[in-house]
Amino acid sequence: MKTRVLIPLLFALMLALAAAAPAWSGEPIHLGLSAPLTGNFAEYGQNWQKAITLALEWINAAGGVGGRPVVIVAEDSKSDPKDSAAIAQKFTADSRIVAEIGDFSSTASMAAQPIYDQAGMVQLSPTTSHPKWAPGSVWSFGIVGTQAGEGPFMARYAVEKLLKKRIAVLHINNDWGIAAKDNFVQAAKELGAQILAVEAYFETDKDFTAVLTKLRGLKPELLYVPSFYNEMALMSKQREKLGWTDVAIMGPGSLYSPKLLEIGGSSVNGLYTSAVFFPNDPRPEVQKFVKGFEAKYRASPNMFAALAYDAVNLLTDTIRKVGTDRKAIRDELAKTKNWPGVTGKITFTERRDVIKDYRHLVIRDGRFALFDK
Amino acid sequence: MLVPQLINGLTQGSLYALIAIGFVIIFGTMNLVTFAHGEVYMVGAFVGAFALTLWQLPWFVALLLGMAAAWSLGFLIEKVAFRPLRTAGHMPPLLITIGLSIMLKDLAVILFGAENRPVPSVYDQTIRVVGVQISVLQLVILGLAGLLIVVLQFLIQGTKIGRAMRATAQDHEAAYAMGVNVNRIFSLAFALASALGGAAGVMIGIYYNAVFPIMGATAGLKGFAACILGGLTSIPGAILGGLIIGVVENLTVQFLASGYRDVVAFLVMVLVLVLRPQGLLGRKLRTV
Repeated sequence: MKTRVLIPLLFALMLALAAAAPAWSGEPIHLGLSAPLTGNFAEYGQNWQKAITLALEWINAAGGVGGRPVVIVAEDSKSDPKDSAAIAQKFTADSRIVAEIGDFSSTASMAAQPIYDQAGMVQLSPTTSHPKWAPGSVWSFGIVGTQAGEGPFMARYAVEKLLKKRIAVLHINNDWGIAAKDNFVQAAKELGAQILAVEAYFETDKDFTAVLTKLRGLKPELLYVPSFYNEMALMSKQREKLGWTDVAIMGPGSLYSPKLLEIGGSSVNGLYTSAVFFPNDPRPEVQKFVKGFEAKYRASPNMFAALAYDAVNLLTDTIRKVGTDRKAIRDELAKTKNWPGVTGKITFTERRDVIKDYRHLVIRDGRFALFDK
Repeated sequence: MLVPQLINGLTQGSLYALIAIGFVIIFGTMNLVTFAHGEVYMVGAFVGAFALTLWQLPWFVALLLGMAAAWSLGFLIEKVAFRPLRTAGHMPPLLITIGLSIMLKDLAVILFGAENRPVPSVYDQTIRVVGVQISVLQLVILGLAGLLIVVLQFLIQGTKIGRAMRATAQDHEAAYAMGVNVNRIFSLAFALASALGGAAGVMIGIYYNAVFPIMGATAGLKGFAACILGGLTSIPGAILGGLIIGVVENLTVQFLASGYRDVVAFLVMVLVLVLRPQGLLGRKLRTV
């Protein structure tokens, strides 16, 4: 495990050294990154790291921030609350680090939140979307939008666009999953849908046959599954094996990852989801990012890469304005208005989260496509 | 939905039974408990997954390779952890297997990564039997588990080696005096138990489409619970125990909620042991 953490670290250091060749006018500016670089959420964390590496390359090639290079200090949290809290202790105690990006899951971010809060360091999470997270500390910022926005969007997608009225919900039993479930269920009920059942599964569950068999008996038209690509892929395969095909499957944008297609194969065809970032978006900032990412990594960036790219650029833009004081960064960040990100314009609400524009997606023939009907 | 849930439960239970039988064989012949059994199962599952994904082998070859790997690992564990400590009592080998279990788990995390490794599925079709849709894979798993149990019973009841195993189980000193190579029987019993665990691992990988380093922890615990429920030294008891735990888990999901599945499964075990301390089919005599 150690080497997996060290290699990206060394890589970042090497980049910093290579970039440091031009005469810098000051010491490097350090940002902390607490992310799942290994484990079940590794694909998300590694995408973050790729996007951040790319963004910093561009920033440092253009002269850095105030004549100083920007470097990232990456730590592997596995998105485990124990690790994210320990990393928070480490980052806040390190006087070189001016702000932090992370963590991935709401549970991991919320476990670290009181530590960043007490030490007074910005905790900017690219993905944490629990409605209670950003309001929990004046130092916490979320840019993915909350389930308070995405839940009703998905409910309208299910009830108004797909005309599904009989809905069952199967959610991951953690902070994020419960928020995702609550927001969806409330909105769907208001739209006149019937919620037949709400079931939960645990992060470690691999056997979904029993709960799928149970839900199948209720004959829902749509199954809403707030989950991640790993469980969704297994669940879809097990559902296919049980022969349950007369049901629409939908989940929030957390599912938007190429890994879902890779692991799920044909069983995820027809799955409905959403995204705040779509690589074919013609806006110049999106196209610059997509082209740069594809040239460097020979793969398309996903939503998670895009969110991390926005996070690091937003932070460096803020530091450019006010310098490296932890408190000054927070105060300036909170004032952000209409900042043009690749995942849409970012304006922080007074709760320090953002309202996003979502896109309707569906998986067709093994790829994500815009849903247009 | 009752019939499909029963089939889900029996399928899962048959795999618990295979693990439980491993505990019975080891406890029966050597009077020892191993806590590395779950990890042997995990190693079997990984070898099976590699055979299917990297080497693109047919599933039954993957199953045999997984069993062979588990057999070898079991053989090795017995040699390293049990044989030198045969006279040291219960505690040292028990502690060594706990250490081995942690070591194997962490080694798997380092070598294979902590994430789920996808396993391709086989027999994706379903068939309809009197109006109930049944997964072909579930039937294949049930059939294979049954076949392995029949082969094992034949081995133990119908062959010379089996007789030597039963003799060793009853009294290994007497068996030794009668010319049974007790050391060889211990090795064999451990390897055989491990191979059954490995078979369960490969099948669970195919069934759930994933293998991962910590998969042995719960499986080992469930298998051990099934073995205790059945009476510790009885193979039919272990089978019954495994099936009961599997079915109870699935019915709990159906009638309560999925969060309660392990709670109720272990509650049943505790209740049975309170009412019948020797287990369902346990006897005072140690027999395999």
